[in-house]
Amino acid sequence: MIEYLIKGPFWYFSLAVFCIGVLWQLARIVFTAGKTDLSVARGSATGGAWRNIFSRFVPHPEIAPRIRMQVIAGYMFHLGLFALLFFAAPHVHFLENHLLGFGWTPMPYWAFIVAAQFAFFGLILLWLRRMLNSVSRLISTTGDHIAAILTFVVMLTGCLALGEGFPALNLLHFFTVELLMIYFPFSSLMHAFTFIPSRAFTGAWFGRRGIDA
Amino acid sequence: MPVVLLIVLLVLPVANASTPQQHKDYPQGVSSISPGSDLWREVRQRDLPISGITQVQGVESGVLINAEGDRWARFRIENPVRYAPLVLLAVVAILVLFYALRGKVGIEGGLSGRMVKRFTDYERVVHWTLALVFLYLALTGLILLLGRTLLIPLFGHQVFSLLASASKESHNLVGPIFLVSLIMMVFSFARRNIYEKGDLTWLLKGGGFIGKSHVSGGFFNMGEKSWYWMVILIGLAISISGLILVLPNFDQGRVIMAISHVVHVFGAIILIAVSLGHMYMGSIGTEGSIEAMKSGYVDINWVEAHHDRWARQVKENDEVLSVEEFARLHGRKPEPADNAAGQS
Repeated sequence: MIEYLIKGPFWYFSLAVFCIGVLWQLARIVFTAGKTDLSVARGSATGGAWRNIFSRFVPHPEIAPRIRMQVIAGYMFHLGLFALLFFAAPHVHFLENHLLGFGWTPMPYWAFIVAAQFAFFGLILLWLRRMLNSVSRLISTTGDHIAAILTFVVMLTGCLALGEGFPALNLLHFFTVELLMIYFPFSSLMHAFTFIPSRAFTGAWFGRRGIDA
Repeated sequence: MPVVLLIVLLVLPVANASTPQQHKDYPQGVSSISPGSDLWREVRQRDLPISGITQVQGVESGVLINAEGDRWARFRIENPVRYAPLVLLAVVAILVLFYALRGKVGIEGGLSGRMVKRFTDYERVVHWTLALVFLYLALTGLILLLGRTLLIPLFGHQVFSLLASASKESHNLVGPIFLVSLIMMVFSFARRNIYEKGDLTWLLKGGGFIGKSHVSGGFFNMGEKSWYWMVILIGLAISISGLILVLPNFDQGRVIMAISHVVHVFGAIILIAVSLGHMYMGSIGTEGSIEAMKSGYVDINWVEAHHDRWARQVKENDEVLSVEEFARLHGRKPEPADNAAGQS
């Protein structure tokens, strides 16, 4: 009964909330864009947008030494999670069989484990820093903590189910993924979809005004 | 000889299959010598492992039965599995008794509210990362070590097998993170944990528990330094032995694996037992200690009580923050309680 609910109605519900929620949030951003800028352009908006998208992957030299740990942990977590999500064999098979109808070559098992270790280590470092740095703690919202904890729980249940010998553990992982999918569109996790448009918008604004930032 | 072994092995299942029929027809039993008995006796009861010839290439692939493995399994059941829970329970009992008799070790004059920076954000992140990973590994490790004895009677075989699988997979995955955290710990704290003049006096006075006079201490006292080196050295031993166990594809034989297992288990039990004392002293056991790893700051009265040499240093360098300065650093206004503490 529980298996039917989790793999049946609840899966479709969470998928619908995720898709509609993400589309609605993106549409809201697009349609609530500011007024047209009528000032004379001092530089290229397009150039500024592209420049900003890529330059923000590297921290500004002036602050780089102070945020070295966040940058390294951030890359470890995000790249590790990306590799896990799209190249772990169980995920590739799931996407092929249940969502897309086609698959791709998954990464080898050892790479899967290393990616998981990077993701875990990065997330632990980032969340602890958020909790222990007085400024980060002050500007963090309850939503930020829920997002971090939920992501961690999803990764942990996935790790517990690594043996793939117990359907109950797989089901637990599946259920936590569904919870994350429902929470995703209404949280800061939306940055997975908005970080590039956001950088492009800011970069275009800077570029048009001739700001070199 | 290997050919004879092979023939006997092939015949063995047939011989065994016929046994129940004989028992049915002759309830009183039939005296016959099993041809396999001598073979297994020869193989199992020798003092040294017998290595035969085989086409299978690999470490110890010519060994039919590893008698040492049997001894190791017995050792595992009779020693760590039996004594680990007793050791851990004894440590908990000692701490409870100590707390009941002595209570929380207070600071003379109480907390002042004037704070000194003890650890940076990075150092605290490193400490808590190591602590969290260690706790998780300790929990899953204890499930794997003691679950068969303690958990099966409570939850049954099915629940335990699920718990064991989950624990094993996650223990193996999280283990290397412990090693990396340990290395970060070496780079962050090693320099300040080198033993220096005066540390031996701290040890001889039992950290203040022997006699009534104050025991002098620097930034870290002898007890803290010894705990630190214990974590690093035993932690490294646990990590290296864990890697030997989790990566069996580097041609290490079963003897090395068995030794690694013993090092891994005994090291972990020692570290878990001592860490209980560390957690006690760092939280409910000593007034004001937890603040060091919570906010990174400690009360100046706490510093004077436990680390007087460091206290002199911070006062000379004018590093003591007032109640207001500390509250402002943490984005809040000084509360009446802070002011009261500051005036005391």
